[in-house]
Amino acid sequence: MLDAEKIREDFPLLRESKIIYFDNACTTQKPKQVVDAIVEYYTKYTACAGRSIHKLATKTTEEFEKAREKIARFINAKKSKEIVWTKNTTEAINLVVNSLKFERGEKVITTNLEHSSGLFPWLQLAKKEIVNLDFVLCNKEGEFNIKDFEDKIDEKTKLISIIFASNVTGTISPLKEIIKIAHENGALVLADGAQAVPHLPVDVKKLDVDFLAFSGHKMCGPTGIGCLYGKEDLLKELSPFILGGETVKDADLRSFELEDIPHRLEGGIQNYAGAIGFGVAVDYLTKIGMKNIEDYEKELAKLLIEGLLKIPNLTLIGPKDWRKKNALTSFNVKGIEPQDLAILLDEENIAVRSGMHCAYPFHKFINEKKGSVRASLYFYNTKEEIEIFIEKLRQIVKTLG
Amino acid sequence: MVICIIALIVFSVLGIFSMRWRKLAKEAFDCVFRPCVTKLDQRIKSKLTAKLMKRTPALARFTYKNFKVLSWIFTIAFFASLFYSAYGIFNLITYGSCEPGSPTCGISQTIYVISCYETQIVYGIIAILFMVFLYFGYKYLKFKE
Repeated sequence: MLDAEKIREDFPLLRESKIIYFDNACTTQKPKQVVDAIVEYYTKYTACAGRSIHKLATKTTEEFEKAREKIARFINAKKSKEIVWTKNTTEAINLVVNSLKFERGEKVITTNLEHSSGLFPWLQLAKKEIVNLDFVLCNKEGEFNIKDFEDKIDEKTKLISIIFASNVTGTISPLKEIIKIAHENGALVLADGAQAVPHLPVDVKKLDVDFLAFSGHKMCGPTGIGCLYGKEDLLKELSPFILGGETVKDADLRSFELEDIPHRLEGGIQNYAGAIGFGVAVDYLTKIGMKNIEDYEKELAKLLIEGLLKIPNLTLIGPKDWRKKNALTSFNVKGIEPQDLAILLDEENIAVRSGMHCAYPFHKFINEKKGSVRASLYFYNTKEEIEIFIEKLRQIVKTLG
Repeated sequence: MVICIIALIVFSVLGIFSMRWRKLAKEAFDCVFRPCVTKLDQRIKSKLTAKLMKRTPALARFTYKNFKVLSWIFTIAFFASLFYSAYGIFNLITYGSCEPGSPTCGISQTIYVISCYETQIVYGIIAILFMVFLYFGYKYLKFKE
């Protein structure tokens, strides 16, 4: 069973400050092991990977590729070359949007629950009239009816782009069923896993997902590193939109021969320290166990949701049943603006997020035009922290609400 | 946004002496002229409410709910105070007294920056704040019960 108190010893910020950090959907805290790995790269073997042949470069290449293998194992990818390094989830999604070949008139289906990263790149493509964009709408609680996907999909549909776990409602999309429908109709699926991969055991083979994008910094890794998982044959079909160093095998003035995947999709010097740190973060999560993390976070979600529901004038966004959610929820309090509530909680040393959470269409859909407050938890949060949070929130609402 | 006008003037003056205030003055400038760019007024409101909540929750509630009205009152008082100060200083320089013709308004050269009008306004504000404090102190005690 997961011992959060013991785990917190690994996190310098959590150990040394009294802050209750409930903004994990934005970014997570980093354990000492990850910070040490980054420092080690910068102090003991700084060099380029895949280019020079001296000792330092060899060590960098080894560690860099080892990190790729760790990520592949973590999501149970068939081969490490199915992992492409990116800056973050946004870049991973943009890589698919800009590299996948579309025939004019082909359709992409997405939803109203998407993060800006999963929506705007498609809007841009639709604006250029390269694809037709269609939407499946979730209900007011952020849940999808699988039949809506069956109704929308047709022979023109090239791809379904969908958020795996919502960063507003905490709901998990029925990805397996959606993938089944897509594949039966000859379409691909791109899943935005930014809020799912850090919290659930994800097996890309079992899911049979075609592309999965996620970030390192939301799962104890450093910022500026993320990745795109893609099935080998599909990655080979992508036409790279960033070309440069390490992307080609051979070239002359008139032509070039592309490097194999994944390197052809990773133009220029990469974020080596970030990738190595991400690898260590994945080791750290694996050691704790993703199933343990999921179970513990369910306990936290239960306490959080039940506590919030007892506060008068508070509207929970998304389902009221904690079983349907990650340890993440957004809410609003009548008479208090979300930004004010976040600042008031910050004065009590509780860090939460306020605003639109990069999900403008969904907030407009549920008529919360000023956004909401979001509390998002991770495995190092404790039940005591939730109790303090609920009590402080209750006091604020009692006084100002 | 109204409160940002005071913030702009106060922070601009303080900004002459320190970089820290210059940053806030820039933010206040944005708050007045480009309100979508910054949320300074909202931060002032929430920070003030948070501080008050720890001492007098009832006053915090009053401030939070009536922040716009209070902002206007303070802004008007601020400009009235500025005007009367300037008027008093002008009289002091020109006629040697902050209110020429008034025998009760003798003012020492050493404290010439405060005019008679200014003093009256300051006394008035202190009296109002004292009454507000008493009222909410009483309400706070009741709230705690």
